Amino acid sequence: MMPTRLLLLLCLIGPVFAIEAPDVDCLIINLKNVSCTWNKKGTPKVNYTFYSSFFNKKEKSCPQYLTENNMNIGCIQPCESHDRFMTFNTRLVHGKDRFKETHGLKNRVKLNPPTNLTVLNGSDFNLWFYWNHTSPARLHCVESEVRFRTNNNNWGSSKVSPEIQKYCINSPSGSSRYELQVRNRIDDSCGSSDFWSDWSEPVFWGSNSSIDSDSVPLWMTLLYVVGAITLILLVVMLLQRERLKIILIPAVPKPSPILHDIEDWFQLSKGLKENFKASYNEQVCPVREYNYVSQSDSMNSDDSTSSVSTNQTHCSVSIDVNDAEDLYVPLSSSSSQVPSEEVLQVSD
Amino acid sequence: MKLIVFCLFTIYCCSLVKASPMERKKLQEVLRELKMLKRDFPNTELMMNTPPKDIEDCCCLTALTCFRETLLQQFGISGKYQKKLYKSLNHTLTISGLNFCNTETSTTNCSTCHSHPKEKASEFFNRLESLVQRGLSRIN
Repeated sequence: MMPTRLLLLLCLIGPVFAIEAPDVDCLIINLKNVSCTWNKKGTPKVNYTFYSSFFNKKEKSCPQYLTENNMNIGCIQPCESHDRFMTFNTRLVHGKDRFKETHGLKNRVKLNPPTNLTVLNGSDFNLWFYWNHTSPARLHCVESEVRFRTNNNNWGSSKVSPEIQKYCINSPSGSSRYELQVRNRIDDSCGSSDFWSDWSEPVFWGSNSSIDSDSVPLWMTLLYVVGAITLILLVVMLLQRERLKIILIPAVPKPSPILHDIEDWFQLSKGLKENFKASYNEQVCPVREYNYVSQSDSMNSDDSTSSVSTNQTHCSVSIDVNDAEDLYVPLSSSSSQVPSEEVLQVSD
Repeated sequence: MKLIVFCLFTIYCCSLVKASPMERKKLQEVLRELKMLKRDFPNTELMMNTPPKDIEDCCCLTALTCFRETLLQQFGISGKYQKKLYKSLNHTLTISGLNFCNTETSTTNCSTCHSHPKEKASEFFNRLESLVQRGLSRIN
């Protein structure tokens, strides 16, 4: 009974005193080195000895430890560029404790940032950026990403296909300041890496005296203030001066089905209105119609001459008499008599 | 006679120079066809003889043959993408592009296809993809 209880107690207490298995995390740096750390859960309490190997290669101890507070927390060792396609075995040893792990590192690659980032003003008046990468990866295996901004505004980014190590900004403004950075990673066709490299050192182009977007020049501020004051004054004047209001904002006549006096549509002064009214009178001129009377009839009534009579109180009409025998007599009686040989003149 | 030999030698050298970009294009084509087949493959749980994750340099061509023959046995060449992929895996440029073996130092004995344990179809395609990517990362 006693040994059983003791055993049970040991089983319960044992895990409390056992060392927690460290979690080894490995990353291939620039396809040249493997960096493994085991301090994800905190600085380890004991100093481990680290051994590792890629598939079918001899196991090696760590050539260079990473330390923190005098405790080993990681290891860096060299590797070949195509080793990442093989399983990576690690072993941490401390006394009788041995912790083995296997890792697949094909996608766990972080390249160094691109170098020699330069800018050139091309003959086509475009801005060309060029860079290099330092890893042993083939050019068709490296894809890049650029980010750029103008005058310290927000960043814009763009992906660059593998094998291409240049980027173009079309028709740059001469008064703006351009800044560009590049980063890269292994392309999908060669087993894409999960991590982008750090951004490269920035490169600049353009005027150093470019206006900062956050500050506004003094003259522009004054211009805005003067413009606002002018606008307010104009509004006040419009409200106060009716005449100015009429000139600047003429009333638009409202179309109506009922026809009004067209003179009312125009805002005319009284004097101008009076001038439109007519102030002259014209007397009516009555015009009479004359009947044709043959000479024989007229001779029966009067031997001397035929007579034509008309009222010539206000009017006179000119008529050419070609034939003396063809004469016209007014239908109504008249007060005057005119000889037939004479040309009759009637005027209005 | 000397001129003819010189011309033939020049042509041979030029063919060697051009081979790498053609091999690269061929392997990229294999990757595209594999992606299309993976996308449309209905039964990813199907079990198939699959070469291991870790393939030695001198066993890559043996593994390629295993992938190709397993593809033929399991799916035939009736489907559009199966047929294309099978033809590409059988192409001389694919074979030369995946030949990493330095025959002078090779002492490797490679496992036969039937000796490989069966894995799911998804794992089968992932390992084939990894083999092609390995080839592309080594080609100039």
